[in-house]
Amino acid sequence: MDQLTESMITIFLNDQPFQAVAGASESLLDFLRHRALATEVKCGCGRGDCGTCAVLFDGRMVKSCLVLAAQANGKRVYTIRGLGRDALMANLQDSFIQHGAIQCGFCTPGMLMAAYNLLRIKPTPTRSEIRQGIAGNLCRCTGYQKIIDAIAAVAGKTAFVSEAADSLDSPNPTATDQEKAKAGYLLLGGG
Amino acid sequence: MNAISYYRPRNLVEALKVIHDYAGRAKVIAGGTNVLPDIQAGKVKDCVLVDVTGLDELSGIRMEGDMVFLGSLTLISDLAASRTIREQANVLWQACQVFGDPLVRNRATIGGNLAYASPAADTAVPLLLLETTLIAESLAKGRREIPLTQFFRGPGETVLAPEELVTSLFFHSTSSYQGAYIKFGLRQAMVISVANCGVLLKGTDTFQAARVGFGALAPVPLRATQTEAFLCGQVPDESVFAKAAAIAQSELHPISDLRGSREYRVMLADALFKQAMRKALA
Ligand SMILES: Cc1cc2nc3c(=O)[nH]c(=O)nc-3n(C[C@H](O)[C@H](O)[C@H](O)COP(=O)(O)OP(=O)(O)OC[C@H]3O[C@@H](n4cnc5c(N)ncnc54)[C@H](O)[C@@H]3O)c2cc1C
Ligand code: FES
Ligand code: FES
Repeated sequence: MDQLTESMITIFLNDQPFQAVAGASESLLDFLRHRALATEVKCGCGRGDCGTCAVLFDGRMVKSCLVLAAQANGKRVYTIRGLGRDALMANLQDSFIQHGAIQCGFCTPGMLMAAYNLLRIKPTPTRSEIRQGIAGNLCRCTGYQKIIDAIAAVAGKTAFVSEAADSLDSPNPTATDQEKAKAGYLLLGGG
Repeated sequence: MNAISYYRPRNLVEALKVIHDYAGRAKVIAGGTNVLPDIQAGKVKDCVLVDVTGLDELSGIRMEGDMVFLGSLTLISDLAASRTIREQANVLWQACQVFGDPLVRNRATIGGNLAYASPAADTAVPLLLLETTLIAESLAKGRREIPLTQFFRGPGETVLAPEELVTSLFFHSTSSYQGAYIKFGLRQAMVISVANCGVLLKGTDTFQAARVGFGALAPVPLRATQTEAFLCGQVPDESVFAKAAAIAQSELHPISDLRGSREYRVMLADALFKQAMRKALA
């Protein structure tokens, strides 16, 4: 039986196919940083605690250090770079800058991804819901208040997120990629 | 040598065969939220990772009559967003809201949470209160049902044979009960419980039925059956809660660890139980 210690992995990274060999126990995070050179995905801990490695994987926001590269074979992966042309993400980025929600910046890509995930599911969160939404993301610099302010400011302007949010509320785990893309579930469904 | 290899079966039959063929060396991986940190820490090595995430048939929430069926690969985030779970198994729904963080919930599966058998696992106490039965499958033993009360053996240990896969679980609706799940961690969110408590109650003037469970207060998550027996027929008031909490203490075996001392956990059990009773009846 073909159990492999390494294998060729193809992912659709920000809508572009990317192929490289990965070790069997290699994380998607290492694959993205070291093979695909997608260094916008950060490694703050490598074991699920900090959230700097967040990516949109197969339609869900996850910590890429908790996913095997092999598990991503054939799947779509979006890093923050790939979401740059999304209106909600662009608004979040502007708001982080305006509110001074960035100091050293190491947590920022992951923080933006967590905020994006939250606002897609819950367009008008309370401050406490914002805290819960970024609970898996650590920031050693800002003390979080400015990050929460930045997210809250975008949360007010919900018009452009409502459609995506509706469909994210009840993701259908058995839907095909095509169905999900149609439902707006995968905002940037390629093609 | 630390040789890890990887195999991704396409369906259940193939998965069971692979696990059988690599008897002893196969290591199931689902969401990987326990397995990847364990690979990092060197606790998982020399194995064939059998990735079950391609087995779509093991995912989903389904109701049949008053029974709720969950595939073992069902994500915590799908349970947390499910109307069926909120209405039919509210105590489990509450636990899924406070499980890890949103990004972990998007990967963590319910089967992985049970199979990892952490005494603090957040779905364990709610599923014990729901009197859940697991279905395990393997080529050698076929398909068997395991009541969750008999599933946990100790920290990280279950009655599963190495080649058994948890495929689904089921329980009766508890829509006519009032329940509460309270988790105490060292931070607001995202952390493993220092201790947790869940209750499921029926009847408002007097208790017709009471189910009480504790996590991280003994080597395995457990039901406090003597506390439950005491509560039946009692009226819901603070003096009853205090007496019940004292009985519960005798059923628990807390340990000291890096998240809290034994004495601290004794006090926590008392406080969490009373909080859960108040919240369930509120
Ligand atoms: C940052 C972080 C926060 C966390 N917070 C919490 C929390 O608040 N509460 C909590 O309870 N847990 C928490 N966890 C632990 C973990 O997320 C859960 O235990 C999760 O449910 C495990 O599921 P999984 O699918 O990721 O399991 P995996 O890591 O894939 O597997 C876990 C174990 O179960 C086995 N296994 C998996 N599926 C099956 C199956 N179907 N049949 C037989 N064996 C199987 C695997 O071999 C492995 O031993 C946290 C983890 C991290 C990294
Ligand atoms: S690097 Fe993934 S959570 Fe820290
Ligand atoms: S800005 Fe430095 S870690 Fe957040």
